[in-house]
Amino acid sequence: MTRGRSLTERAPFLAAVPMLLILAVPLVALAGASSPGDLAAGARNPLFGPALWLSTRTTLVSLAVVVLAGTPLAWWMASRPGRRSRIVESLVDLPIVVPPAVMGIALLEAFGRNGLFGPALSSLGLHIPFTTAAVVTAQIVVSAPFYIQASATAFRRVDEDLLIVARTLGHSGSSAFFRVAVPLALPGMVAGAALCWARALGEFGATLLFAGNLPGTTQTMPLAIYTALESDARVAVALSLVLVGASAFLLFPLRTVPALIVRRFGTGNPGGGRPVRGIAGP
Amino acid sequence: MSKAGRSLLRLFVWAAGAAACASGTPEREPLRVFAASSLTEAFQEMAAAFETASPDTDVVLVFAGSQALRLQIEQGAQADIFVSANHGHMESLTRGGLVSAERVLAENELVVIVPPDNPAGVESFGDLAKVERLVIGTANVPVGAYTREALRRAETDGGLPGFEAAVMGRVVSEEHNVRLVRAKVELGEADAAIVYRTDAVPGRVRTVQVPPGVNVRARYLIGVVAGAGNPAAAERWVGFVSSPEGRRILSRHGFLSDITTAQ
Repeated sequence: MTRGRSLTERAPFLAAVPMLLILAVPLVALAGASSPGDLAAGARNPLFGPALWLSTRTTLVSLAVVVLAGTPLAWWMASRPGRRSRIVESLVDLPIVVPPAVMGIALLEAFGRNGLFGPALSSLGLHIPFTTAAVVTAQIVVSAPFYIQASATAFRRVDEDLLIVARTLGHSGSSAFFRVAVPLALPGMVAGAALCWARALGEFGATLLFAGNLPGTTQTMPLAIYTALESDARVAVALSLVLVGASAFLLFPLRTVPALIVRRFGTGNPGGGRPVRGIAGP
Repeated sequence: MSKAGRSLLRLFVWAAGAAACASGTPEREPLRVFAASSLTEAFQEMAAAFETASPDTDVVLVFAGSQALRLQIEQGAQADIFVSANHGHMESLTRGGLVSAERVLAENELVVIVPPDNPAGVESFGDLAKVERLVIGTANVPVGAYTREALRRAETDGGLPGFEAAVMGRVVSEEHNVRLVRAKVELGEADAAIVYRTDAVPGRVRTVQVPPGVNVRARYLIGVVAGAGNPAAAERWVGFVSSPEGRRILSRHGFLSDITTAQ
């Protein structure tokens, strides 16, 4: 870029500013609303510790489940183009579109005491609603689509010829998958995992309906913030700020890691360093 | 332009027109009533009766836990009337000068509700200590505060040592308003819940009484919000709910509205 840019050169940036402001202003205001004293008070609030710990545990478990169970599905969707996989793809997308509260009711209808599988589960001595397992289930359902779609897009970009070459060089199908497809798709998968984790961390509606609100057991950070807001707004602001900080702290490395992977392994995955685009899908 | 594009455009034009019509004809002045969620049906009927009496007023009802409504008013929500299910939330608004002229509207009390098939076999208040899944209000929503008070009383006045801790140990969820508490029993997810008598609709749930010596009187307070957009209608609303007709509506919905002395 040279000095003395004309208006036409600046136009793209100027056009981008309003959206940037809409996204940044609320968070900046949140940061400005809290003094260090408020923050300390928020962190000392009895709701804070258990909620942060619960959110950390449950989102890590749900992320692990999504990666383990979602990767095969993403691979299947990527390697079987056709009507059937398009139908599956829309099904996978549905939880993104459906309001979280609806997902909460749907989960109750499926796994609640009077739900589809409720009697079968309770005959096994399993009760999911109101337990930490319900929190994890709600997080999985609402967050998995983000990982699956990103991974499927990343897998689609893997050059099929490379897989064929790997097979001709004596690799089995699974070996070709783990040693060729996964490393090439890794940046996209990691970016998808980051979004998936962020969505799980912010999950509120489905959790409130399906898992309820009990400190230490089902009260995650978003629920604690909602509960705190009704007794002391300052505490809620402080808790919110901590959640934003924690999210940024964890999300930033997840955003930069894909680029590092590309540099390290020099994968030829086009667009691998900018994996967010993969989320949009084809 | 494609056919689809044209019909889409027509849809937009129609929607814009409809929106303009909806907002462009403010014939009736709105009266915004923020009321505790336990008043839902009673106030819906009240609003219909009030609108019949004052056809130029459009009553807009907002129901939530009193603490949530209080927060909204503190944050500058446009409200004309505030009805709290307890003293505390009303007092903090009157102390802050946000609500004036508060008076007692009605009274209520607590009951235990269980699903119609009563899976945990709850027959008395004391049985609460043995249910698997109990749902109550948060400490901040009035019904939750009253619930905790009743549990304390059961322990101190009711001669049930350790009862409060035993029951609180059975709580699987703390909800933000009484209707969410009830919903968990209606869905059959909770074995029992503690709500107001007026929330226990026969047929949908079964009621188990709270002993009189333990039960708590819930007192609803009504006040006019400072800076109300429609103060005249707000005054009329306060008058209407305490009129014989208003009291009939309240008592038809199970509220104890025979209050002769305010405060």
